[in-house]
Amino acid sequence: MEFQESGWDIKHLVKLMVSSAVYRQSSAPRKDLEDRDPYNRLLARQTRFRLEAEFVRDNALAVSGLLSPKIGGRSVFPYQPDGYWDNCNTFTGPLIYTTDQGEDQYRRGLYTYWKRSFLHPSMLAFDAPTREECTAVRVNSNTPLQALTLLNDPTYVEAARVFALRIWREGGAEVSDRIAWAYRQTLSRAPNDQESLVLANLYAKHRSEFAADPHAAESFDQIGQAALPADIAPAELAAWTSIARVILNLHETITRS
Amino acid sequence: MFSSHFFDLQQTRRQFLGRSATGLGTVALASLLSPGLFSAVAEAAARQDTWRGLVNPLHRAATAKRVIWLGMAGGPSHLETFDYKPKLGEMDGQPMPESFTKGQPIAQLQGKELKCLGPQHTFSRYGKSGQEISDLFPHISTIADDICIIRSMQTEQINHDPAQTFMNTGTSISGRPSMGSWVLYGLGSECENLPGFVVLTSAGGGQNQPIAARQWHSGFLPSRFQGVQFQSKGDAVLYVGRPAGVTEGRQRDVVDAVNALNRLSDGNVDNPEIATRISQYEMAFRMQSSVPDLVDFSDEPQYIRELYGTDGGDGSFASNCLLARRLAERGVRFIQLYHRGWDHHGGVKQGTATTAKLVDRASAALVLDLKQRGMLEDTLIIWGGEFGRTPMAQGDGRDHHIKGFSIWLAGGGIQGGITHGATDELGYYAVQDKVHVHDFHATLLQCLGIDHKRLTYRFQGREFRLTDVSGNVVEPILV
Repeated sequence: MEFQESGWDIKHLVKLMVSSAVYRQSSAPRKDLEDRDPYNRLLARQTRFRLEAEFVRDNALAVSGLLSPKIGGRSVFPYQPDGYWDNCNTFTGPLIYTTDQGEDQYRRGLYTYWKRSFLHPSMLAFDAPTREECTAVRVNSNTPLQALTLLNDPTYVEAARVFALRIWREGGAEVSDRIAWAYRQTLSRAPNDQESLVLANLYAKHRSEFAADPHAAESFDQIGQAALPADIAPAELAAWTSIARVILNLHETITRS
Repeated sequence: MFSSHFFDLQQTRRQFLGRSATGLGTVALASLLSPGLFSAVAEAAARQDTWRGLVNPLHRAATAKRVIWLGMAGGPSHLETFDYKPKLGEMDGQPMPESFTKGQPIAQLQGKELKCLGPQHTFSRYGKSGQEISDLFPHISTIADDICIIRSMQTEQINHDPAQTFMNTGTSISGRPSMGSWVLYGLGSECENLPGFVVLTSAGGGQNQPIAARQWHSGFLPSRFQGVQFQSKGDAVLYVGRPAGVTEGRQRDVVDAVNALNRLSDGNVDNPEIATRISQYEMAFRMQSSVPDLVDFSDEPQYIRELYGTDGGDGSFASNCLLARRLAERGVRFIQLYHRGWDHHGGVKQGTATTAKLVDRASAALVLDLKQRGMLEDTLIIWGGEFGRTPMAQGDGRDHHIKGFSIWLAGGGIQGGITHGATDELGYYAVQDKVHVHDFHATLLQCLGIDHKRLTYRFQGREFRLTDVSGNVVEPILV
């Protein structure tokens, strides 16, 4: 009725749903509901699920500040492992993949070129459908390939590096301030003391390791197309990139809860 | 989504992962909060996360521990490979008797005049067993006494993709688990640092029919059981290489921190997916050293390279066979190789010769190599396509055919040197000891120690099996 009376206004309906008390509940399970509604049929709490493939990437780019807000245009070709299309089981044989430069590298995931049945591997790892048939509900897997993608795909390493620079510039003066700022940017909450300590210890370890291994710091700092700033010491950027990588890899970061 | 079985599985997994506050995970966390201790403990914790299988103990004594499936994609002509039909030769060029073809499904020959096409290659008897094999296979013929040829296979789907789906899942409906996923669900993996179900592809010798990743999907089974496609050249696993400047130790630090923070948050939000996420990060980390080791063929001696006819890593079927042996040695449960090159609608004489040459040596090499290592006795090898090809000509080729075709098996509790079943005198129908795909699946599970009627998963309100409501074990071919 609401939908009808609003003049079939879809935006109004979506707004109504997402601003409802039911939708805005916490997703944390409650002991008292375990027996009464174990499958959450009655929606006594919010459901939680991993972000969809495109949003996993969009989220990392948005957190880092790299994401392009541009709407529309041709499909784009983000970083993809060399030779990946050589393994595409087509009739015609190897295809050529030309990586985009500049803004097109950072477009939203929905603009990534969609090779039917042979998707971009990081989209595939996060269960984007192959578009061979209608997909009503995407599967939601949890595999080692997802971990490898978030850890090693240059898209995510570059996002971490650019995010690291923001943490260093905008996050405050102290290590703990910066960690707290990074958490707020990514997870919309402050870290607790234990979480902060895990990251502070990692920062200290990698700061000294990268200082002692400048070649490693420099090559790490150059992954991706984004410009390398001159005002930050390579080891400092590298150490914060480690912190940013950890945060971008967290289950909480890729989960809507 | 609201399946109670799903809930049960989560509960089981939870107990099984031992997510107690006093578990090893907490020890690993403590080591991160005070750096200096390190990751041996975290690694030990993750090793507990390996799925040990639903069928535990086994339903019966297993004769095979693992499966290597040599998928001859496109549909090899049984009439040029393993099923010699001299009568068809006599009738070459004559009309195919309508008694055979009337009312039968036909793919591309619909509405065409149906004429016999005689065998395009000669056959001989090989080995002590005298198995009749096409002269296209100078190497496979040397293992005649090790293989069981089934000449009476039948399937239900006449086009490539649905037929592959039928061969993999026992149905042509998308969304059901592949046999590799069923096996992994039933038995778990013996491998701590590689996926338990690995797929490789190669191509050449005919139309390179596409193979969709859905062929090794886990369907309604949990996604951890899906097959993982390795690249047959280049990096075997994508993104397995660490970023520049990140040593193994630094990567370990990052993974440890991710897992520690995930554990802390699991304490607050109690989400079973987090335990899986943690174990998958451990698996990913281990893969970063196990995968480069897997594809480093430098430790293969010259005689092995000559046996397979490859130095490895070149994307060929031979290279994939060698890699399959290396995967089998490392405890991978289900290894599926597809060679896309058997769809010989035209030029079946030259086409089968070309494709046979690409797969013959390495197929035999794999059997011989496993045998000399003592691994053939518990490795089930299957060689075959999704269907066969018509006795009728399609120009100088053959169309798709599902009423009778051939495959062979070796090792893992299968009798060597025997031929099972037969087609009629023109190679159209399987007429003796028919082996439907369901029967084949039942037999495969039987070899692995699984009663196909008892490996089930509840979905959409009922129990499902790989064989669903069919399947009879083909007892005569078992040792």
